[in-house]
Amino acid sequence: MRKLRFLWALCLLPACLSHSFSGETFTEELFIRGLPDGKVASRFEFSTHSHGATPRNPQNLSVEDHSQHYTLFPLALGQILREYAVTELHLTLNAGKWNYDRWGYPDEPDVAAGAALWAWMAEGSAGANPRHSVDARWRDLRNALAGLFCASIASLDEQRTTSPARAFTPFGALPAWPQSGPHAFRHASLPSENVCTENLTPFLKLLPCKSRSGLAHLLNPHRLFDADWHGMGLHVSWRPEDGVQVRLTFQSVFDPLRSGTSRDWSFSSLFDRTVDQACPVAASSLVLVTLPVREPYSIQPEPASNANNRGVFPITEQTVPLDISIHWLNPFQHATIAAQAPLSVRRMLRGAAQSHGTLAVSITNPGSAAVRVVYLETLPWIVHLYLHTLELSVDGIPRADLLEDISYIAPVPHERASTLEAILAIPANSTVSLRVGVGRAFLRYTEHPPDAQRGWELPGAVVVLLDSENKPQKPVGRWVSTNKEAAQRKQAQVLAQAQPRRIYTPALLVDPATPDFSMPYNVIIFTCSLVAFIFGSVFNGLTRRFVVLRASPE
Amino acid sequence: MPHIHPDGTKLRDPSSLFYQSEYIRRLIIGSYWLVIIAAVPLWWHITSIQRLSLPTSRVRAQAGNQLHFPVQIQLEGIQDASLPASLQRLVDDRIRRSPQAWKGLDVKVNDQNGVCVTATTWELLTHPPDANKRLDSYTVRSTEGVPLASERHLAYPVRTETLPMLADTLSALLVPPTDTHRVAPYSPRYRLAFTLLNEDAAAGRAISGWDISGAIAHSLSILHNFTIESQVQFHAPLAFSPLSLDHGYGLTPEDLTVPLLILDSNGVPSSSDAFLLPQWGGIVIYSPTEQQHNVPLPPSALNSVFSTFASQLLGLLGVPNLPPDVHMNAPVLTGWQLDALLRRRTLENVQNAQDTLKSIVKLVDQIENMPVGLDVKGDVQNSLTALDQMYASASTSLNETLHQSADALTLASRAFFNPGMLALLYFPAEHKYAVYTPLFASAMIPLAAAAAKEIAAWRRQRREAAQVVQ
Repeated sequence: MRKLRFLWALCLLPACLSHSFSGETFTEELFIRGLPDGKVASRFEFSTHSHGATPRNPQNLSVEDHSQHYTLFPLALGQILREYAVTELHLTLNAGKWNYDRWGYPDEPDVAAGAALWAWMAEGSAGANPRHSVDARWRDLRNALAGLFCASIASLDEQRTTSPARAFTPFGALPAWPQSGPHAFRHASLPSENVCTENLTPFLKLLPCKSRSGLAHLLNPHRLFDADWHGMGLHVSWRPEDGVQVRLTFQSVFDPLRSGTSRDWSFSSLFDRTVDQACPVAASSLVLVTLPVREPYSIQPEPASNANNRGVFPITEQTVPLDISIHWLNPFQHATIAAQAPLSVRRMLRGAAQSHGTLAVSITNPGSAAVRVVYLETLPWIVHLYLHTLELSVDGIPRADLLEDISYIAPVPHERASTLEAILAIPANSTVSLRVGVGRAFLRYTEHPPDAQRGWELPGAVVVLLDSENKPQKPVGRWVSTNKEAAQRKQAQVLAQAQPRRIYTPALLVDPATPDFSMPYNVIIFTCSLVAFIFGSVFNGLTRRFVVLRASPE
Repeated sequence: MPHIHPDGTKLRDPSSLFYQSEYIRRLIIGSYWLVIIAAVPLWWHITSIQRLSLPTSRVRAQAGNQLHFPVQIQLEGIQDASLPASLQRLVDDRIRRSPQAWKGLDVKVNDQNGVCVTATTWELLTHPPDANKRLDSYTVRSTEGVPLASERHLAYPVRTETLPMLADTLSALLVPPTDTHRVAPYSPRYRLAFTLLNEDAAAGRAISGWDISGAIAHSLSILHNFTIESQVQFHAPLAFSPLSLDHGYGLTPEDLTVPLLILDSNGVPSSSDAFLLPQWGGIVIYSPTEQQHNVPLPPSALNSVFSTFASQLLGLLGVPNLPPDVHMNAPVLTGWQLDALLRRRTLENVQNAQDTLKSIVKLVDQIENMPVGLDVKGDVQNSLTALDQMYASASTSLNETLHQSADALTLASRAFFNPGMLALLYFPAEHKYAVYTPLFASAMIPLAAAAAKEIAAWRRQRREAAQVVQ
């Protein structure tokens, strides 16, 4: 009897025993660097590899999946990835505006304001269960992640979903399954999402050591959400040689100058915590600190090694408790800061009218070489572009030749967002300004968001730097090193550099015409009165009997 | 030629205008009414709710049905031919005493020749000689020694004086008492998630993993489908401070939590290291004995932990225990236990499905605004069909019956929780009147007044015409 066999098997479970971590490794790293304006940027990276694991083929969605047994890999995330056959997934929840001009390019490139979710999923077999189609799985994935992260990701519906072709490239590899269709890309962003403690708690739950040991102990919500800028990210990718990788990142910008004149910082001043114990299951646990150059300073404790002007602090049983502190001997001098990023992008919505306006974007290239960029604009349908009004100019002189290629997917009212992807050439030492007329839609009564008077937030534009030559975007070579972790880290860095650089602009606010929501019945009664008045007049005019009355002379 | 007023003034006579003629005016008023009356069916159609009729009478008829499982008990190796009849009498006695527990069971006692014995009549059964192989047939063989239960057999010292005890044992085997608070509700699929929790891995003595894959990967069972997953948590502090029993000096709180013991209500350490959370799961405490750090769970510990999990799982699934005096001669459980569980689950499913169907019919009757779509109707009909098929298969296959009952319950629940049934539930008639009245009242009053005036005028004209004729 099968039932009996099942229970018997349960009793005999521990028949074979292999190594505990069975192909899973967990590494953590904290990178802290001082910014030119005296602020301090920190980036936590927690990376879990499941070696040999492969994404689920959507062809197999209708058959029972194999059992999921994890040691370090988060089960809650594994369930979602397998249930919806997601090959690559990125979710970022950021708060604030990343100041590219003063802070430079962020260590974690995806800094779009609010929530952003993008994923690659393969198309299942045609004519199969409609719940297995990419769009149905994308919807279910949004709902599942909304539940997991306590965020409004579920409202990233079809009206906010786009599939831009050029701006995003997969971080890992996309498997080529014989029967499945090609991988489809879906992207959605919600700039009005607020990021707070309720999102950090589920984030910490995905870590093997939670926030109780290791570097994650520094993730103190009271300090992180007080920072000038903070954001978290979840990145799942797959490589044939590595298996599935889950990268959880938390990036923040602190301001030690907010309450004083010294830019000295320490773990206790930034996070109000220290690293008290090492995470026992981390294969490597490092703190990297960028050391000042040409300035007298002191650092406590001394870094174990110093490479590339970065102090390295490995966290082991011996080094805890660890409270790195750095002290400058000279006070901080505020000075004009040269542009830190390769490009500077400004974007605004002009025009006071409620029915139309102008979208104006200016892209400045301070460098001495021309660059090519992809300009991506994904707008909800309430704003539509008049493409024939698109103008490109440099210093007031029209330069239509700077537009190399353009693709535009028009919005469908109440259904689909619009996607504008343009390849622009930005000449050296100049500012290209792009202007395009926009129309604003008139929304239905039920389509207004809560707090409708505040307006709608439009997602920021994305500017992607293209290589000027046609270099291959991904390195082909492999790295051979005796130190496997170092090799992996280097490989990850090189791959991160190989990713095209994306620059996100802040969100825009558009205020469509809003009705007075407080008086629906008054509106109904007013309309009815008007209809009744017109009806009564017409009806009376048609049916009234006219007679001439003679007024008597007296 | 211009119309001149009879009085000779310049004013035109209004009655000479074409639309002032009585006929045209009546036509205008009539056409208004015609449009309104013609629009009523359209209005009715677009504002009405789709309410398909449910098979109410079938649901009522189904609710009265009672599932019957035939149970044959063969007595073998007995000397006294009157024993089966006495046993039947004793069992019938117990059925009479607690009919609720025996609900749905038809127990018949036979002797080894396949002759059916009932309290009143003797009849020869027509089933084939290999009757022992029938799924609803159980064998009691008379032996000396301790009672021993195996697959569907029971070895028992059957004598006249032990017959009342045998009847009690049989009732404990066929309709075992169950703790409904502990047993998880029936579901065709369960997700079994095994989690290894370390109190604080950073403090040492951590268990870094376990190997539970492989053996259970594709084991299914007839009763439920199982999805099995596992994970390891490295920091799971206790939500309470453990009571320290040691009063030695120089011990840290971490030392005091190992070994972790469970105190019973009298404050005495319990010998058990596991406890069960009703309808949810079970917890096993493993206290590492020697100094261990970041090592996997040793195989011997994994063995004992999983045998505890297996017994906890049996408890949660509602597998009944054998009566205390009966010993087991089977690897995990006997056919007696499994059949009792299948019968109980089937009866529960049938009862729940019938109740749900009755509730749907009642709810739809009560709430007139509730839409009933094709999918709800289809689910109700399919659920009824599954119940019908289940009654047909009840005497042949227990598994088949269980699956049909589970299908019926799933379909009935799906119909009951259909989100479409909520669509217009919260749109009360008062709101409609509030919207319609300002429009309709102001438009309808002049229309009605004009119509009434015209009808009155028309009747007066007819009366006057009649008087003129006279």
